Amino acid sequence: MLVIEQYTITTTPKYNFPQPTIDTTLPQRFLEQSLHSLKQVQRHPFQLNQQNIQQFDITEQPSSNLNLKRQPISLKPNHQETQIAAVDTSTIKIGETSTGIIIALRGATTWKQNQRYRYTRLGPFIFHITEDNKNEVYNALEKSYFNTLYTSNRHATPHLMQMPTRLAGLLERWLQIMLAKTVENGLILFDGSLTSGTIDTPVQCIKDILTLARRNRSTVLAFSKMTSLRVNGYLITDKLPKHEPPYLLETTGVRFKPPTVVLGGVYVAKLNRSNYAFRLDIDREIPLQHRKAAVERLLGNDLYMQGYPETLRLSHILCTFTANEVLAIKHFLTRKHGIQLVNRPDMHKLLFGPFGKGELS
Amino acid sequence: MKLYKKEGNILQVLSFPKENAEKGDYLLIEDPDANKALIAQVIDVQFASIPGVLEELLRTLPDGGEPIQGEDIDPLEIASHITYIQDASLLVCKTRATLESGSLSPCSSWLPSRSQSTIKKLPVPLLIKLAKIEGTRPIIVGGTKDSSLLTIDATAVDGTLNIVTGKKGCGKSHLSKLLVASLIGYKATVVIFDLNGEYTNVGMTKDGKRNMYYDKIHALTPSQNFKVSLDQLHLNVVMGILIHALHLPATSSREFRRLWKNLKEKGSLSLQEMGAAIRDLKCNQHVRDALSSRYHALVNSGFFTDNPAEAMLLDECLVKARDKGGALVINLRNTSTIDRQIVVEYVLGKLVDSLQSWKLKATFLFAEEAHLYLRETYWDDIVTRMRHFGIFTTFITNQPDTIRESIYRQADNIFLFNFTNEHDLDVVSRAARVDAETVRSIARDLPPQHCLTLGKVVRDFPIVARVRSLDMKTMGETRLFFKNINYRFPVSPYSAGRNA
Repeated sequence: MLVIEQYTITTTPKYNFPQPTIDTTLPQRFLEQSLHSLKQVQRHPFQLNQQNIQQFDITEQPSSNLNLKRQPISLKPNHQETQIAAVDTSTIKIGETSTGIIIALRGATTWKQNQRYRYTRLGPFIFHITEDNKNEVYNALEKSYFNTLYTSNRHATPHLMQMPTRLAGLLERWLQIMLAKTVENGLILFDGSLTSGTIDTPVQCIKDILTLARRNRSTVLAFSKMTSLRVNGYLITDKLPKHEPPYLLETTGVRFKPPTVVLGGVYVAKLNRSNYAFRLDIDREIPLQHRKAAVERLLGNDLYMQGYPETLRLSHILCTFTANEVLAIKHFLTRKHGIQLVNRPDMHKLLFGPFGKGELS
Repeated sequence: MKLYKKEGNILQVLSFPKENAEKGDYLLIEDPDANKALIAQVIDVQFASIPGVLEELLRTLPDGGEPIQGEDIDPLEIASHITYIQDASLLVCKTRATLESGSLSPCSSWLPSRSQSTIKKLPVPLLIKLAKIEGTRPIIVGGTKDSSLLTIDATAVDGTLNIVTGKKGCGKSHLSKLLVASLIGYKATVVIFDLNGEYTNVGMTKDGKRNMYYDKIHALTPSQNFKVSLDQLHLNVVMGILIHALHLPATSSREFRRLWKNLKEKGSLSLQEMGAAIRDLKCNQHVRDALSSRYHALVNSGFFTDNPAEAMLLDECLVKARDKGGALVINLRNTSTIDRQIVVEYVLGKLVDSLQSWKLKATFLFAEEAHLYLRETYWDDIVTRMRHFGIFTTFITNQPDTIRESIYRQADNIFLFNFTNEHDLDVVSRAARVDAETVRSIARDLPPQHCLTLGKVVRDFPIVARVRSLDMKTMGETRLFFKNINYRFPVSPYSAGRNA
């Protein structure tokens, strides 16, 4: 047997956060798992994915006690220099093999300091996930990231199609921990909510992240682009009072069916005069006045496009896969791993012609 | 490279960064199953339409407009693949021929397999060999991009109508001199209407020594070493000068014809005798005045003489050039518009006479900015009648719209230099032997001294070459005021003002 190629897994790249004082090395395990899983699919044909899926949000089923206080909490931008950091991850299915799927995932952290935005992007990591290796890959990664298995065995058999989201969630949580560890006296913006106890958001993990952030005098603010929370049948972000923005609307009685819990105070944030308002979760353990002060510092230090923080928007933009990148990943798979691309006919289109809109329609 | 699309005779080929194809390059698209190959030329290079590129570029620019600074940790090194895909280009190609069993045919009606075809660059030397461009009498035009020589066959210029055009200062005259030198090297007879006196020193090297063409260049400057006596002239030539150059009306022309015949019968055909005859002519006063003014125009041109010692026999020069090969350079510099037309009428008339009487077999005529001296009716004459007599013209101009469309349509060869003006390119693209897309796309990006050769000489395979340098005094350079002037302001005028 001859060695024809050797992967250059040498020194672990340093994950360069604003204040890299804590152990923030990128676990090599992620890369190893990525390469290991790809080796299993070498020289196997794979079917191009016909409908790319990006990460989707958690669907929540809240209790019926939810209320929205009608009295807005007026906000005044505070321009005191504050570091703002945000994190987001993205995943995409690249294609299918005879035994599983090939996925790519990437994470991005963005921060604003001294009036300038900077970013660190991790990935893309490419995995070949099969029914046989899905638990092994996930558990190995979770253990190496967090030195613990947050997800108990009750989630041990996720559906193959859920694996992209679950792995992306894993990377996202790790990035969130890194920010919580490194950002001092700043604001950490998450994409989504502080709802935990779902398959991708173990309660203990989110609690640990929030504790780490508090220890560094930072506040976690989680912005949801979409929410399913409704009051009197209306989405909480739709029925807004006639009040001059920026303001917050406080909710009460947000409860979910166990084991799902909300670790943040849930607000509706309308940060400028645009037509958009967002659900905002703020660490519940932080006193009410501090929560308001955190949002005011955010207003005074970040830009807003349609009422959404620019730092978080950039994180999302930077981690999202473009069509060009998907092509490049396919090129990489073909060139580096000898994976043949095959185009299996889309049965929807084959059977229904112009009425067949693809698998996910 | 991969074949992407074919529409009519336009092919679109997907090319990746390392493949380095440029405008003007030839591609060989081989279909192993069909056992034949398509030869196509790249006429434009575009970015391939890769989905997601816009997003890719946009996300590097935040609202401030400055690129966002950051670090990419890319352990699998996907970034190189991303740029590889992003930088993919689309080569727009024109099909030129089909290669089958080693021979070329202009047919391109078949479609090569998109999946099975292999595409590679076709080196120019191989193309020249396949198309048999070199021939038996090679003229080295210059070097191509792949460091080979573009060699055309002198016989492909024989019997043809050629155009050398391009914007000012890109090397048209240089190429014309190269063609002249090469033709006289093959003992051809060349006549040059030299508007700026650029060709008179073709027989000299750059450092002023005689070169191999020295004895073959006969520079004739009207009213200096080029004068003619009336008795050397044929009536048709004189009538041509009077009617076309001096616009003599028909009635007066008839009177002049009669007067000429009388003088010739008496054996007293001279300027002096003609002046006296016109003075004494009993005819309408207007006719006499018309003849008198034309007579004085002829006299004042200084081109005509009664002194046999001054008179120069053009026939002799032509015969000399015929026997050993040579060029008659008619130096039209410092000659007025009317005198220029008189000289050109005379030379062309004399050439036609010599060719009709088979004193000359054929001649190559090089005409710089011909619109400045060629009368209207000659344009069609040159491409139809005179060509049959054996006058093979090469027009050299930087104003392509001064050459008639009929000339372009019948041009056999076009040596095209850079043009940026759309209108100029439109005019040139009317030539029958070229396609408009090739002209517009390639000529616009030609660097100076680079020429796109089109037509018969390259067997209709347009080829770009850098025209080779010549060791001859070109004198085509523009005289510059600031050249070799070392004077500078002692101090900046602004600082002087401040000090004051």
